[in-house]
Amino acid sequence: MGKYILKRVIQFIPVFLGVTLILFVMENVVPGDPIKLMAGEKKLDAQTELNLRVAHHLVETDENGNALYDEAGNPIATPMWKRYVLYVGGLLQGDLGVSYQRAGQSVSDILMSKYPYTIKLSIVAIIIETVVGIGAGMISAIKRYSFWDVLVTLVTSVLVAMPAFWLGMLLQLFFGIFLKDATGGGFYLPISADFSPYAEFQGWAYYILPAITLASVSTAYAARIMRSQLLEVMNQDYIRTARAKGLSRRDVIWHHALKNALIPVVTYIGNDFGAMMAGAILTETVFNWPGVGYETYRAISSRDWPIVLGSVTVIVVLVMVINLIVDVSYAFLDPRIRYGAPKDQG
Amino acid sequence: MALDKTGGVSRRTFVKGGLAASALAALAACKNASTSTDSSTTTGGTDQAASGGTLKFYINDPVAIDPYNVQESEGTQVEHILFDSLVNYDWDKEDYVAKACEKWEVSDDGTEFTFTLKDATFHNGDKVDSASFKRGWERLADPKMTTPGEIGYHISPVAGYDDMVSGAATEISGLTCPDDKTFVVKLSYPMADFLAVCAHPGLAPVPQAALDDADAFLLAPIGNGPFQMDGKWESGQYINVKRFDDYYGDAPKLDAVNFSIQKDPDTAFREFEAGNIDFCQLLTGRIKEGLEKYGESEDGYTVTPGKQGLIGAESSIYYLCVNVDDPVMSDINLRHAISLAINRQNIVDTLFEGVRKPADCVFPPIIDEDSSNVWEYCAYDVDKAKQILADNGLEGTEVTLSYNSGGGHEDIMSIVQGDLEAVGLTVTQNSQEWAAYLSGLTDGNFQIARLGWIADYPTMDNFIYPNFYSTADNNYSRYNSPEVDAAINKARAIVDEDERKAAFRAINQQIADDLPIIPIMFYAHNHVGSEKVESLYYSPQGLAGLASASLKV
Repeated sequence: MGKYILKRVIQFIPVFLGVTLILFVMENVVPGDPIKLMAGEKKLDAQTELNLRVAHHLVETDENGNALYDEAGNPIATPMWKRYVLYVGGLLQGDLGVSYQRAGQSVSDILMSKYPYTIKLSIVAIIIETVVGIGAGMISAIKRYSFWDVLVTLVTSVLVAMPAFWLGMLLQLFFGIFLKDATGGGFYLPISADFSPYAEFQGWAYYILPAITLASVSTAYAARIMRSQLLEVMNQDYIRTARAKGLSRRDVIWHHALKNALIPVVTYIGNDFGAMMAGAILTETVFNWPGVGYETYRAISSRDWPIVLGSVTVIVVLVMVINLIVDVSYAFLDPRIRYGAPKDQG
Repeated sequence: MALDKTGGVSRRTFVKGGLAASALAALAACKNASTSTDSSTTTGGTDQAASGGTLKFYINDPVAIDPYNVQESEGTQVEHILFDSLVNYDWDKEDYVAKACEKWEVSDDGTEFTFTLKDATFHNGDKVDSASFKRGWERLADPKMTTPGEIGYHISPVAGYDDMVSGAATEISGLTCPDDKTFVVKLSYPMADFLAVCAHPGLAPVPQAALDDADAFLLAPIGNGPFQMDGKWESGQYINVKRFDDYYGDAPKLDAVNFSIQKDPDTAFREFEAGNIDFCQLLTGRIKEGLEKYGESEDGYTVTPGKQGLIGAESSIYYLCVNVDDPVMSDINLRHAISLAINRQNIVDTLFEGVRKPADCVFPPIIDEDSSNVWEYCAYDVDKAKQILADNGLEGTEVTLSYNSGGGHEDIMSIVQGDLEAVGLTVTQNSQEWAAYLSGLTDGNFQIARLGWIADYPTMDNFIYPNFYSTADNNYSRYNSPEVDAAINKARAIVDEDERKAAFRAINQQIADDLPIIPIMFYAHNHVGSEKVESLYYSPQGLAGLASASLKV
């Protein structure tokens, strides 16, 4: 078992290096100089610009931290590979670098202050996904071809096809604006995150619309998986045996069918947690949510590469660890995987 | 960019209402409440009266609130109520007034400024002495900061600045502290307008804590201003500040300010309508509607109940930058014709509901209003434009208009394109993403590009030098006129206010014929306050005077 885990951990290395390398190349291909961007329309003077490049290791320096120049008198830019080695070196010591645009703030501090919000939002979304997804899927399967089944199928089709940010905007329009106008401000849901001590709503109200938006697509898939799994299980021989023994339909579903049907759904939802943390960019942007997703979006548009690299690095590690946990638990349950029997190494 | 405006209109009305007395009473009551919460004999009613309330103010997430790097309006707004610089511009008196300093003296040659400081303390109890100013100014130029500041250029006239910013020195030799109360600034060349620079919020004093714990200071700066941080800056969410009770100046009426960070003006306005924000922007395109609903302020700068909408001219200009090195655009006749062909009033009326002003020179009226400033070629004269093109065989010339996508520039550029095509030019639009657009500007890879200039300080110099001096950083048009350079050098050294103004007016006319930029319009702010606001002044530099604002309680 230990050997299997070790093998998997060693496999992290190439994946990790590959992803960060791709990002590093992208950073050099995308137009726009982040240092020039800092001051906006007002151009930086040459010395300040150079100081900023030195501070961010974008130009070569001597041991005293003074910039080095080529024969023409221009500062020598640090080659990409060198910056990459520097980045990975820093990373191994837990240093994600310093943001370009957020003067002087370290990337790890920024991400640490943002993750709690993304995690909390993801947890609420997972709860919605679990309760609504499994519930709707069950109703759909049990009352097959009924009005409810058709409704669930229809709604899930729409949700799967609908971009999350658009759903978010529709929800804002309806619950935040129309409803408020219609009730004269008596009832509505907050549409932008405001966690200040002066917020008029209790904190939970702010979660409702973003969490629904974030959960929408996954909930639809969870409902569909639940429906098909339950239907499949209901056709199994042991269910027929159970029914033949005279158990009620209700008992059969609750005590025999559900447990087995739930396994794939729960696996799906578990894996989805990682995906939500990564996929919160659109939702957080629409709702002004102070999490990692919105921060990453802003970093991309302002070419704040250290933040982009940092947040992607964290997500990559997170997803790899979650995958490892899932795979190890499978390996624990099924010895064939441990001993190298054919199995896809997700 | 920008100055405080304690001396604004609100302060006047404030004083009429008996500011001194009420503020003292409020302060006394406040102290009373905080020291005797347990002995409930007298405080009940006093508490009520003492409460100045919390004003909720919309901003975008700032770049920095630490003075060493305040550059955009949002960070400046927060920073300048946490910190006081030496002097302050009073828009009412149209002159500088002492703030953190008691008085100042300028040497006859305009190169040495001596400030005598007031007795004051930082929010952590440290004394504000001359060393704290030196410390604060040197941080602007320190290349060894985790991220060096970007606003050091403001103090570049100070002797020794270049050595420090290039790493050759660890101090700025031109800044000296003969004693705790005296701060002396020596310039490397005469610059009579340097007092305006001293009003910049970035030139504030900082306590030793700024060096000892720079990371903490970044998110919770300790200043000498009327408000102090209440917790730290929660990026993307809020910044809270509360009244600083040991402030040396007039005590603010407000108990606290909550800077509510929203991602854009639309979201902020919805929160305003929901009653969660007290001050934000009126949405472009719905300005007139907003003014009808909330009432229009009389002076355009002060919110009072029932007159809550603000339309006020600002010290900034929107212009087209012409690349004078470009083979096509170097033809001065073409530049004349283009400028004459643009219907500026039409742009202002159709896109900005008439609230902005067409630009006829480089100085916004709030900076200098003088009939001699007007540029001949800023008139709208289609026939003359056509005539110039015909006389010089320029019909059908192809020109490219560059601009950054988003921000409504498409609309402006499309109107300009229509105007230019109407006189027989062939126009191509080149819309680029912001980052790529800036690179193009820096590399000189454009013919005509849009730009805006917001004054760092309300001086004529600040509109001329950065944009037209041949070696100035912001001179994107690559304008190079030895006569203009010489005239600027001369004008900057004139100590007499009126003479200096006259000199800058003359320079403005020197540039007028060359048209290195084509002025389009002067910005105006369009903001709105809630009914809860009793008085709030918003300056032509786009900064709210929160230290003198009050809420209805």
